[in-house]
Amino acid sequence: MTTLASAPQETVSVAGPVATPRRRRGRRAGKVTAAGPLTYVLLGLTALVSVFPLYWTAVAASKTNAELAGTPPPFLPDADLFTNIGRAMEEAPIGLAIVNSVVVSSCITVGTVLCSTLAGFAFAKLRFRGNGALLALVVGTMMVPTQLAIIPLFILIAELQWVDHLQAVVLPTLVSAFGVFFMRQFLSQALPDELLEAARVDGASTLRTFWSVVVPVARPAMAVLAMLTFLTAWNDFFWPIIALTTDNPTVQVALAGLGGGYVPDTAVIMAGTLIGTLPVLVVFVVLGKQIVGGIMQGAVKG
Amino acid sequence: MATVTFDSATRMYPKADRPAVDNLDLEIGDGEFLVLVGPSGCGKSTSLRMLAGLEEIDAGSIRIGDRDVSDAPPKDRDIAMVFQNYALYPHMTVEQNMGFALKIAGVAKDEIGRRVAEAAKILDLEDYLLRRPKALSGGQRQRVAMGRAIVRNPQVFLMDEPLSNLDAKLRVQTRTQIAALQRRLAVTTVYVTHDQVEAMTMGDRVAVLRDGVLQQCDTPGALYERPANTFVAGFIGSPAMNVVTGPAVDGGVRLAGAVLPVPREKLARAAAGTGRVTVGFRPESLETAPPGEGVPVVVNVVEQLGSDAFLYATLGADDDGDVLHTADVVVRTEPRTAAAVGETVHLRVREDCLHVFDPVTQLRVD
Ligand SMILES: Nc1ncnc2c1ncn2[C@@H]1O[C@H](COP(=O)(O)OP(=O)(O)OP(=O)(O)O)[C@@H](O)[C@H]1O
Ligand SMILES: [Mg+2]
Repeated sequence: MTTLASAPQETVSVAGPVATPRRRRGRRAGKVTAAGPLTYVLLGLTALVSVFPLYWTAVAASKTNAELAGTPPPFLPDADLFTNIGRAMEEAPIGLAIVNSVVVSSCITVGTVLCSTLAGFAFAKLRFRGNGALLALVVGTMMVPTQLAIIPLFILIAELQWVDHLQAVVLPTLVSAFGVFFMRQFLSQALPDELLEAARVDGASTLRTFWSVVVPVARPAMAVLAMLTFLTAWNDFFWPIIALTTDNPTVQVALAGLGGGYVPDTAVIMAGTLIGTLPVLVVFVVLGKQIVGGIMQGAVKG
Repeated sequence: MATVTFDSATRMYPKADRPAVDNLDLEIGDGEFLVLVGPSGCGKSTSLRMLAGLEEIDAGSIRIGDRDVSDAPPKDRDIAMVFQNYALYPHMTVEQNMGFALKIAGVAKDEIGRRVAEAAKILDLEDYLLRRPKALSGGQRQRVAMGRAIVRNPQVFLMDEPLSNLDAKLRVQTRTQIAALQRRLAVTTVYVTHDQVEAMTMGDRVAVLRDGVLQQCDTPGALYERPANTFVAGFIGSPAMNVVTGPAVDGGVRLAGAVLPVPREKLARAAAGTGRVTVGFRPESLETAPPGEGVPVVVNVVEQLGSDAFLYATLGADDDGDVLHTADVVVRTEPRTAAAVGETVHLRVREDCLHVFDPVTQLRVD
């Protein structure tokens, strides 16, 4: 399912109106229109704009504060990168923070994807009393801002003596209303009823049907949800900084404690940010392939 | 293998104002091939799904063998179903698709392999066992769906329009293959179709449904020879039987000024209430008569099929006061002597080929 995908195909629409005669020939030939030069230029520009902030983080992470303040600002990285990273790691427990963040984000992601898929499946395909009302309730909770729940939540966590423990960050976000709604929408459209009936006639229990039939069909949507959830969990700052301390921080909490002082040490902050971002990039590379594959599969079937 | 019995089985969908299947009584013999046929929306699929356990039964009961399965879940009914769109698991190979039910039932791996291989051989699928459904043609998918049913060796096969997604030629081919396969396996089979040709060629018996109500269940020959009412008469046979109503006169029914002879006893019973009688005659049981005899019709269209010709003609309104509707009549004739458009032909019905119905109840009069 992942073989068809490649970037140029997705952006054909960008260059659509200015198709050159050469591209028309490509169109006649078959499956997918070949990309023209303009497509590549636009794609290249978009990629540049997206990558630049990351690049500049790397540049800034390899300079001293004084060099950064100079005009014009530097554009090439330096050899000081590892010194700065070393300083950042001394200043805050960034190693621990990354491990914590990986644990927290992974737990939240696995929990959210699993629970959302189960609940989404139930809402989309199982007949039970109060289905509609319950779904409305779930969707309704999306309209309640997180900030409203923070104080009661903190009181609860404090009473459980979980402050500064990772479960304080993991447990409240193990399932998300958005995830449930997202999976419901996907499954009610992508999963034919006959498939479930076939599984029932074949003797599968509901749970077995879920594992053997629903999950394989839901995989592309699960990957999208996993990536979104992982990113959100990784970047979450508000609740972790309340529930955790700098002794046992997540990455965002640790970064907040970096480069403090009378003049913020931008270089050290950037160095910390850089290593705090790398794990997310890895996740993106791993899951991104699945997602593009999923999009293509849906398109072909649709 | 087993018999199947519908005993006043009724299904009323929530919020519907009348049952989708109404008091269905049907006995299906052991090893029999029964076809459920009827127009779209008549409740064929619903009946089948009731038997499969995918649809609740609101009243009455269904038995497989001696066992009342009305409340049993599908897996406890020992049935296998072939769906109209095949419902193959998209992420499983042909082999896994066919073996899924056995795997769930906890059958040993080599036994599964053996049974899948056997079914694949019967269905000519051996070369495709490792492919996914999306890499198969429509006909191959259809065979995989059949294979999935066969490997389970169930007591009853259920098939819901399994051929409707195939092109015409393949449909005819597969039709005979399925019928032959069923005879060979001798598994009780309930087969749903809206195509009366399929029904007539495949079924040991055919049950005709209309608006959720069973109209007649009989062998294809009997349905053709002795339709129980005008609906069955019009539904079975192609082109359909001509059904017209006219006033009863001495010796027959008056149509377009002429008298079509009807046996005295039948005429008397059919016309008892209203003085009218409904008669049916098939296109193939009409022959031309010399002018002055027979019923005159005006030819509108001539369809030459090579082996036959069909005349699409209009039966004129009655001319002396008691005006009845004009009616369209289809006539099969010899292709070489077919009449021309606009011509008037005189028709008579071959002996013993006239069906008589009560114009009010629409039921057959014998
Ligand atoms: N899930 C449902 N809810 C409500 N009404 C339904 C449902 N399924 C079917 N019906 C109604 O029940 C009647 C019978 O439907 P059914 O699907 O059995 O028809 P069918 O004979 O199989 O027709 P077709 O040849 O078009 O498949 C129809 O009038 C239909 O509108
Ligand atoms: Mg149907």
